[in-house]
Amino acid sequence: MQAVAQEKSAYLEAFEANGPSGPSWLSALHERGMRAFEDRGFPGPREEAWRKTNLRPVTEAHFPVAESQGAAPPALIERLDDLGDSHRLVFVDGHFAADLSDLSDLAPGLTVTPLSEYGDTAPERMLSALGARADIDWHPFAALNTAFFMDGAYVHVARGALIEKPIAVTHIITAEADRHAVYPRLLVEAEDGAEVRVVERFIGDAQTGALVCPVSELSAGNNTVLDYSRLQEDGIATLNIGTVNLASQRDASLRGAFVGDGGRLARLDLIADLEGQGGEIDCNGIYLTEGRQFTDFHTWFNHRVDNCYSRQRFKGMLQGRSETVFDGLVKVFEGAQKTDAVQENRNLILGKRALAHSNPRLEIFADDVKCTHGSTVGELDEEALFYLRTRGISAEGAKGMLTLAFAGEIVDMFRVSGVRDHVRRVLMRRLNVEDADIGDIL
Amino acid sequence: MALLEIRNLHVNVEGTEILKGLDLSIDSGKVHAIMGPNGGGKSTLAKALVGDEAYEITEGEVLFNGKDLLDMDPEDRAREGVFLGFQYPVEIPGVSNTYFLKAAVNAIRKHHGQDEIDAMEFLEMVRERARRVKLDEGLLQRPVNEGFSGGEKKRNEIFHMSVLEPQLGILDETDSGLDIDALRIVSEGVNAMRDEDRSFLVITHYQRLLQYIVPDVVHVLVNGRIVKTGGKELAEELETKGYEGFEEAAA
Repeated sequence: MQAVAQEKSAYLEAFEANGPSGPSWLSALHERGMRAFEDRGFPGPREEAWRKTNLRPVTEAHFPVAESQGAAPPALIERLDDLGDSHRLVFVDGHFAADLSDLSDLAPGLTVTPLSEYGDTAPERMLSALGARADIDWHPFAALNTAFFMDGAYVHVARGALIEKPIAVTHIITAEADRHAVYPRLLVEAEDGAEVRVVERFIGDAQTGALVCPVSELSAGNNTVLDYSRLQEDGIATLNIGTVNLASQRDASLRGAFVGDGGRLARLDLIADLEGQGGEIDCNGIYLTEGRQFTDFHTWFNHRVDNCYSRQRFKGMLQGRSETVFDGLVKVFEGAQKTDAVQENRNLILGKRALAHSNPRLEIFADDVKCTHGSTVGELDEEALFYLRTRGISAEGAKGMLTLAFAGEIVDMFRVSGVRDHVRRVLMRRLNVEDADIGDIL
Repeated sequence: MALLEIRNLHVNVEGTEILKGLDLSIDSGKVHAIMGPNGGGKSTLAKALVGDEAYEITEGEVLFNGKDLLDMDPEDRAREGVFLGFQYPVEIPGVSNTYFLKAAVNAIRKHHGQDEIDAMEFLEMVRERARRVKLDEGLLQRPVNEGFSGGEKKRNEIFHMSVLEPQLGILDETDSGLDIDALRIVSEGVNAMRDEDRSFLVITHYQRLLQYIVPDVVHVLVNGRIVKTGGKELAEELETKGYEGFEEAAA
């Protein structure tokens, strides 16, 4: 080993030059994040969990924080309607956009607040939860977020409150954030017996080369239903590297719906912690890539106690020369008997030069468990394509139909109807099957 | 003019010549049966007619309604009115039988410059046609052929044909694996569609099916060529005497 004099990162330099920013409760967190990042640094090429993620576009440049809020063009603002009826919280380049948000008529027991609205006094409950899940010593981008985030969404559902209308948190990236970093933050807490649906979505300008590093922490108390959808639909030049933490307590039902179809380089580390008996975390996802896109889902499912249930079903559809990674862990801790875990990853190669990596990992330290995993990479079934064509369906239509059917098995499991309908439309558009020949097959 | 005119058709599969100069002419409204031993080229003819790329046409021509069929993509052949009931129907996970058929019907209508079919009208038609072949209504909403029994798959093929209403229905060993009840149901489905504008090419190894779908013309296909053509009595003759004599003659 060669001893190297430790240099300051450009991020630390910027951090020190800025001086303490934001309210005091935030600056302590910033300090911790900065220290964690500086100790940890960006992953080296030999770090197993990062080996397939080419971070050069991130590490070769410095992305200063997008300090101001750009003007969101009408085309992006229109997309806020995609998800149907919802409470709306919108951030533009990381800053709360009151004019685009709509938090009227919140049901009793529901709190939805942009963090920037808290002055020097933030509620104790929020403070104790913020940053409690994201592991900044482990994940350098979670650390960066924690060092620099200035705003975010706090969703709190009081004990027993049943919230039907989804809460949509949208992060818009504008052209002004080009070559800058945006640090979105989401904190969701459902107290015992509560039920809530939260949608987090990333959209942005197509040409903008921003670095977006979101950190989302969601915690489901005893006997709750928490439904989380994460739609990563960034502009094609954007880098989106973030973490999501899901944690379930006793008898909680936590469902996740994941879509990745944007960005030049996208990586999500999804950490799911089953911490209470009888809890379930059920995550379904699709990723759809084209051109030279790179999309990476790393999952870390931790069965920490007995009698829990988890599902991971992720499907990829790869066009062009795109590349994807699914690397999924199911870890069953000692004593976590009667664990029921299923992990499935299926990939459909639509572009001749597309490349899908699929790496299931099981680590089991209990002896009475049911854990299965499946992983496939394949192409469309030629026989099925031909069969459809002999009935009059065009070659293009047949491909679209089979691909939609492939994705449909996942999309049908998305529980929020606005999300389901939206994702279907996205698929139809991306797969070029909007014409009437196909119809509504999903 | 014949509906289907096949002249000197040569077809290779994986480099081996299977059809070696086949001639066949089918007039509108007629049912032709092709019989012959396994490996003689019956299924090759069926697949070549609907444009399976694994079947390479090396010589000859096929005219359908006077148009060059071999020049068309498989979907265009279907839209022009050629239907193949597969010997081994393919399972299509995730695509419901009904939606798939609706897409197919509309593609065919569009090809002929017609408007899309009305959704209610379509549903009624589908239900009526399904009853005709005693296809359980539950199977209409299920993914195409997925989890269907062998008999259900064959009936589903006839059901598709009855919805798509082709001018030429090619049935490739539709009788294989069917018990006598299923055979009767399938045959009734076909017979109900017989009219003066529609023709059928029924491919079978056995004479059994032809007791129910009575052909106008019977051909014997051996070693890539049609070696004998006759009336429906030829099928009965083959049933008792077998193909031995023809195989020697063709060799």
